[in-house]
Amino acid sequence: MATVCEVKEEHIIEVKNFSFTYAGADKPNLKKINMPIGKNAVTALIGPSGCGKTTLLRCFNRMHDLYPGNRYDGEILLDGKNILGKKEDLIALRTRVGMIFQKPTPFPMSIFDNVAYGLRLQGIKSKSELEGRVETALKDSALWNEVGDRLKNPASALSGGQQQRLCIARAIAVEPEVLLFDEPTSALDPISTQSIEELVLKLKDKVTIAIVTHNMQQAARISDYTAFMYMGDLIEMGVTEELFITPKEDMTEQYITGKFG
Amino acid sequence: MKKSLLALAALAAVSASAYDINGAGASFPAPLYFDWAYSFQKATGNRVNYQSIGSGGGIKQISARVVDFGASDKPLKPRKLDKKGLYQFPAVIGSIVAAYNIPGIGDMKLKLENKDLAAIFMGKIKFWDDKAIAEDNPNLKLPHKKIIVCHRADGSGTTFNFSYYLSHASSDWANNIGIGKALDWPVGLGGKGNEGVSSLIKQNPYSIGYVEYAYKLKNKFSAAVLKTKSGKWVSPTEDNFKAAAKHAKWTAKKHFYQILALQPGDDSYPIVAATFILLPREAKAKDKEVTKFFDYAFKNGDETAKKLGYIPLPKETKDMIRAYWKSNGIF
Amino acid sequence: MDKFLDSLFLNTSRIFAITVLVVLVALFIVLFKEAKPAIDAFGLQFLTNTRWAPNMDIFGGYPAIYGSIVSTAIAMLIATPIAIGIAIFLSELASPLVAAIVGMAVELLAAIPSIIYGMWGLFYLAPILKDIWGGSGLGLATAGVVLSIMIIPFMAAITRDAMKTTPDILKESAYGMGATRWEVLKDVVIPYVKSGIIGSIILALGRAIGETMAVTFVMGNAHKVPHSLFEAATSIPVTLANEFTEADTDLYYSSLFYLALILLVISFTVIAIAKFLFLKRVQEKKI
Repeated sequence: MATVCEVKEEHIIEVKNFSFTYAGADKPNLKKINMPIGKNAVTALIGPSGCGKTTLLRCFNRMHDLYPGNRYDGEILLDGKNILGKKEDLIALRTRVGMIFQKPTPFPMSIFDNVAYGLRLQGIKSKSELEGRVETALKDSALWNEVGDRLKNPASALSGGQQQRLCIARAIAVEPEVLLFDEPTSALDPISTQSIEELVLKLKDKVTIAIVTHNMQQAARISDYTAFMYMGDLIEMGVTEELFITPKEDMTEQYITGKFG
Repeated sequence: MKKSLLALAALAAVSASAYDINGAGASFPAPLYFDWAYSFQKATGNRVNYQSIGSGGGIKQISARVVDFGASDKPLKPRKLDKKGLYQFPAVIGSIVAAYNIPGIGDMKLKLENKDLAAIFMGKIKFWDDKAIAEDNPNLKLPHKKIIVCHRADGSGTTFNFSYYLSHASSDWANNIGIGKALDWPVGLGGKGNEGVSSLIKQNPYSIGYVEYAYKLKNKFSAAVLKTKSGKWVSPTEDNFKAAAKHAKWTAKKHFYQILALQPGDDSYPIVAATFILLPREAKAKDKEVTKFFDYAFKNGDETAKKLGYIPLPKETKDMIRAYWKSNGIF
Repeated sequence: MDKFLDSLFLNTSRIFAITVLVVLVALFIVLFKEAKPAIDAFGLQFLTNTRWAPNMDIFGGYPAIYGSIVSTAIAMLIATPIAIGIAIFLSELASPLVAAIVGMAVELLAAIPSIIYGMWGLFYLAPILKDIWGGSGLGLATAGVVLSIMIIPFMAAITRDAMKTTPDILKESAYGMGATRWEVLKDVVIPYVKSGIIGSIILALGRAIGETMAVTFVMGNAHKVPHSLFEAATSIPVTLANEFTEADTDLYYSSLFYLALILLVISFTVIAIAKFLFLKRVQEKKI
């Protein structure tokens, strides 16, 4: 059984006895996971490749539903309500739980249209409202100073780091409750990485963050809680400082001291 | 080992005495030439390769001396033959019928004045129950349907002979459309080859087109009764084709240049046409091999010709051709 | 030795590459040379003259040019939306099994020789169309339909392959914003693969405008500018296929070359416009 620390914040997400099986797999790829995610905290998911951390992250917005044959068992509660039901409105869920990917994914359109994308999907048509909220999102993602004067330019013209912050702006523009980051800096240079990390720290006042990372230093720098996973199991979840300094499980210790993975 | 060498030597001896002739041109007589070539090879061991590429191609290839003989549905004028250095003689006669597809009207039931046929192909007579047609067919119940005209899309000796006939039957046609292997058709659908025109006729009720007689037989088309030059109704039958052929005034002096449309005589079908062979004047030795083939065909090939829908040349004409060969030293 | 092999390889491939250029230039020169007598005789009026009377040595290319352009335009209008629809279904909507089966069928259809489409058009489609819109069932509209059926699988296959190049992560991030399938397609996939789609349209256009066998059967082969799309007409490749072997006057022969030259120029222009205008514009906008 995993060691899970107490999370003092309100549990915006509660993972309960949760298993996940990919299409065609004969046994579950995530096994009976139980963990909370604290509101307005940053929770990092770490572990070696193939441990299931990205798989788990993608359950929070039911991204696995895009591909047929995947199976969820158990419960994931968002604000106390299970999101794994067959009748769950995935479109509504995904506006509440946004996602940032390994690589920047600007859409083939202008900077403005990228940020306004989710707002337009929600049916907001008023030009002044769109402009206001795009500006806020760009400011919140520390991009306004760089692109405020060229919103009509194609998003593809931005640098990699700017593109990733644009994706963050796009995600926060719809004011989600939770933001999922899937190794958001793995394709970026150190300076861009730093600016994304600063942004994550700044954003947690407004939104709950779950981040998958390969980089333990990054987890240590930005997260409040860290969960270590291995082979589809949650091994240990703890307050970040405690987990890295005094891990309770042997496996966690071996991993953070670089003995494997 | 020794045996097989011997066999090889024997084979070589045979092929040394046997020869190959290459010909190319008109597609209309091609099935007949293939048949003649087959029996010629069986009888003599000599091979005749004929490529059915169209009269124009045949004239081009013999002019360039690429082949040993050319074949054309349209005779060349003596002046042109002199220029290109060619001999010319007819090989067989064909006829062209006006085939129609009118539900309820059978073969040789519809009578058409030659000038009315021209008017149909000019788009001036538009409906089957036009007064001009009805006058000649008081016993037929002609439908009030639009006439679908079918003609050749490719250049063709058939078109040449058909338009030659129409030009002599209708001054309107002569002045506006004229004679040629490819024309500026005022109306209608074009089909490639006799096959193409045949399938257009078959597919389109109330259509009319002109095809070689062989295609009428093959497709069991109905064909119109036309008028002789003397103004008598004449059916598209083999006897009437032969009657027309008999009147042909071939002369060796003009290298048999003669268009057979609208021959005199009360039972001469108006659209018969010979198809011609072209030989290079300088290649006498090779020409002798070619004439040997046609001499063989003239002697033994009449039955096949009839079976395939062609009309063999009259005996007098064949003799005249042999005399022409002899006088030119190619026989 | 290695160096020798290396330079041998380099030079051989260079020669092969240059050959392409030489063939292209040679093609233009030959066409132009053969067309010269007709160009001298008719000049640019050839493009607008509607009369084609070989027996009078009068040659006007307009009906054939008109037929080529109009039948191709009809084909593109029909084929483009259908092909893109098929591609969308195969790459985005169908289950993997269905996509594999239907995809294979599309590829097989794309490989069918065009003459078979022509025969099918003449013997099966034309009689049906005849019942629907009257006349003989042969003409520009029928040619357009047959051409479109011929190019749909080809276009669909290329477009599907292009759509498959859209990164999953890009689509996922749109889904992650709460977009529906249709919105992902419209806002992300199609803009992303626009150049691929345009490329497939151009290739299909090139095939359609030069197509001979599929349309000779169903065009009706009349050197006329038809009053309606349901009347017999002709196109440049059809005219060439029908009349080349029997073109026995020099001017006739040369006029056919003039038509061929015009066809080459049209195809060239279409591809050049597409390449330099559309593709460039699209590529600039791309990720």
